Amino acid sequence: MKSKSLRLFGYVRGAAALLVAFLVALVLIFLSSDQPLTALRYMILGPAASWSKVCRVLAYMIPITFTGLGTCIMFSANQFNLAGEGCISAGGFVGALVAIYCPMPTVLHQIVCILAGAIIGGLIMLIPGFLKTKWGVSEMVVSLMLNYIILDVTMQFLTQNFADRSQGATMTFPYKSTAIIPKIFKGEQVSYGIFIAIAMAVLCWFFLYRTKWGYAIRMVGINKEFSQYSGIKVGAIIILCQVVGGILAGMGGVVTQLGYFSQYRWTALTGYGWDGITLAILAANNPIFIPVAAFFVAWLQYGCELMNTWTTVPVEMMDLISVVIFLFFAAEQFLSGFRQKLVVRETKKELAEKAAQQTGKGGEAHV
Amino acid sequence: MQNSEYVVEMRGIDKIYPNGIAANQGVDFLVKKGEIHALMGENGAGKSTLMKMLFGMEQPTNGEIYINGEKVALTSPTVAIAHGIGMVHQHFMLVPSLTVAENVVLGMEPRKGKLFVDFSKAIALTEEYSKKFNLEVDPNAKVMDIPVGMKQKVEILKALVRGAKILILDEPTAVLTTQETVELFRELVHLKEQGYTIIFISHKLKEIKEITDRMTILRGGRSMGVYNTADTSEQEISRLMVGRDVILTVQKDQAQPTAPVLQVRELEYTNDWNRKMLNKVSFTVRKGEILGIAGVEGNGQRELVDILYNFSKPDAGQVTVGGKSTLGLHQDKLRDMGISLIPEDRMIYGIADSASIEENVISDRFDKKEFNNGPLFNMKAIHAESQRLVEEYQVLCKSPQQQVKMLSGGNIQKVVVAREFSSEPVLIIADQPTRGIDVGATEFIRKKLVELSRAGAAVLLVSADLNEVIELSDSLVVFHGGEIVAYFEDTKKMDEMEMGEYMLGLKRQSPEEVRRVVHEK
Repeated sequence: MKSKSLRLFGYVRGAAALLVAFLVALVLIFLSSDQPLTALRYMILGPAASWSKVCRVLAYMIPITFTGLGTCIMFSANQFNLAGEGCISAGGFVGALVAIYCPMPTVLHQIVCILAGAIIGGLIMLIPGFLKTKWGVSEMVVSLMLNYIILDVTMQFLTQNFADRSQGATMTFPYKSTAIIPKIFKGEQVSYGIFIAIAMAVLCWFFLYRTKWGYAIRMVGINKEFSQYSGIKVGAIIILCQVVGGILAGMGGVVTQLGYFSQYRWTALTGYGWDGITLAILAANNPIFIPVAAFFVAWLQYGCELMNTWTTVPVEMMDLISVVIFLFFAAEQFLSGFRQKLVVRETKKELAEKAAQQTGKGGEAHV
Repeated sequence: MQNSEYVVEMRGIDKIYPNGIAANQGVDFLVKKGEIHALMGENGAGKSTLMKMLFGMEQPTNGEIYINGEKVALTSPTVAIAHGIGMVHQHFMLVPSLTVAENVVLGMEPRKGKLFVDFSKAIALTEEYSKKFNLEVDPNAKVMDIPVGMKQKVEILKALVRGAKILILDEPTAVLTTQETVELFRELVHLKEQGYTIIFISHKLKEIKEITDRMTILRGGRSMGVYNTADTSEQEISRLMVGRDVILTVQKDQAQPTAPVLQVRELEYTNDWNRKMLNKVSFTVRKGEILGIAGVEGNGQRELVDILYNFSKPDAGQVTVGGKSTLGLHQDKLRDMGISLIPEDRMIYGIADSASIEENVISDRFDKKEFNNGPLFNMKAIHAESQRLVEEYQVLCKSPQQQVKMLSGGNIQKVVVAREFSSEPVLIIADQPTRGIDVGATEFIRKKLVELSRAGAAVLLVSADLNEVIELSDSLVVFHGGEIVAYFEDTKKMDEMEMGEYMLGLKRQSPEEVRRVVHEK
């Protein structure tokens, strides 16, 4: 168990990083906008302006929670796999096909769609996992390139085989009503998918901290040599964590499709995979914090979009903020001087306590 | 000039590391010019930390340092060198693929024109210093080809060439044989006569008595005072060092070895640099005995352990445990067969540093039935197991949930040992089981090791600590140049001086004598 003040330090450090990110954004907004206060108000308070705006934030949480969870699991094993981006498209696409072409009673239909998306996501991640284990190919390079291959393959199928030619844009036929995940509030964008996402966060926490597979994943992430020496099958674990990551991203694609859209129309990479990486870093790879981080990022993202719409500050401000957050979360030495002071103070206190105990004992002996 | 009697004056030094370990607390350390000053203390007493601060590798949390009476801030080794301080580390800081002369001038190479290194000048410089200080080295030899004793001389030369007047030697004899130690001492006395100041870190009483003028004793990060070596008895020193009279001998009954457990036959291994590290190595470890492997480090011991635990593949040969071949098996299978390993480098292989003690002690058994309920961990059973091990192996910690890296070296090693010893092993490979840990933990681990062997485990002990191999082993083999050059059936009847000769390769037994360790008719 870490001492209380050191654990607190972790939170303080995170908050400080967020604060710095905001300050950087602030400076830039003031530099680039002629109405900086209005811009700032849209960014921070904009999403709270109405109930339907809040619901939009909640809806945006769904896909990034899934990719965030997937990234958490892969990062826990120290696998920098970035293919959540591709898997969410691939999963969404396959789930969509099941939703369109396989008539089934409702509930069962949604479940089968989600399973199909999960399976395809998992299968895709076998590629970087296997290559890494067999030949030591960097999963980062493979997964990064894989994203574009996946996009092109789904586009190929979409335009050649499954497009609804009666529509003006590239999209599939509409989903069967039995497959749709209903909205929670009539007319608002957030679907029941958000409960699936939160349930998955809890499930992922159990997986990572309360099962032998999660344990092995974390040990491989902390120290590969130690894991091998302990008898853990490191290669299998490296494949497993990536497959689980793919399954989660694939599921996320389907849940987003069935809860938000009425036909498949992703013709470019969604960016949800990248958000997932931000979330994993913010949550320090702990799945239970992912929904919280997702809410934060979704809020900020929508705030930036509103700011983009109503003022002259572009939506890319969001990217800037996440980059600064990245930098400070990743910078191990950030505030390390402050941490050292804390450690020194604690150690001195402990030593003093020990000394006091010993003299106390000595006193008793004399009595 | 504040007080010119002392060349080195460290006052009120505190050092607290980022993991919260207080390595030094209010230490005063004063060294007179031209003396050999011992810095003594058990492993973990804070000797190395204090010297790292004097050499600018670490910064003190509190306290002041004066060199020749002048207050200094030693912010890096470069600054320390500029103040005339030189350090010879326990693990040599040399580039193996370069020659001796190249190592000596590394970073301050004499130039030919602006661009080229003047090698002949480097060699001349090395020879000049080598002659002046009686430190015999071959300037043209590659460092990887020279023996440990000469490597140490190269390190000393390096410091001298850089203008060091104060030399810090960190446990210089730890890697040397008896003969090499004698030679080193002669050289140190010679340096002292020429006005150099030497700080000698050690925990070996005999050596301290032999060579030093005064000593500072550290215990648990605090100074126990300064003493004149001549006026202090060995018993007194040892009491000051450990707070009680150490019992250095391990109580053990005569071994009753029975069936062979580990059988190694004709093992050969060539490393990536095409050097033969193991040459036709054969031996047997039997149930109930401790077989020690002695030898200067780098003579094939590491390669042997790596092969035994399948971290590398031999060129030829067989390894069987209980009659079953183990070569090529996954470590998972080795553990199922009851083979435990205390790895040489505990921070790389022994533990996952940011995981908890609990997570570290279950790493070999977390997938066993008793710790799982269906797909979920049985946390109750896991907590019970870690609690039991922490208590039985006396790991000093706040709780089993504490991060392993927050523990001291000795307690980290106890975590490793708790895991490796508690799996009912039939074979324990113990590679430097007590390196760099405090005396309490050392005693505990040695005692457990003997206990397990007497209860029927076969133990293979690899240690660079001569005292340890001699004390613990029932019988012993000596490695030199990747071969077994001697076998002593009974360590009690062994002569240390003779063993030194085997370790240095000056002497070797006949193949028939060595062959006895195979225990086959």
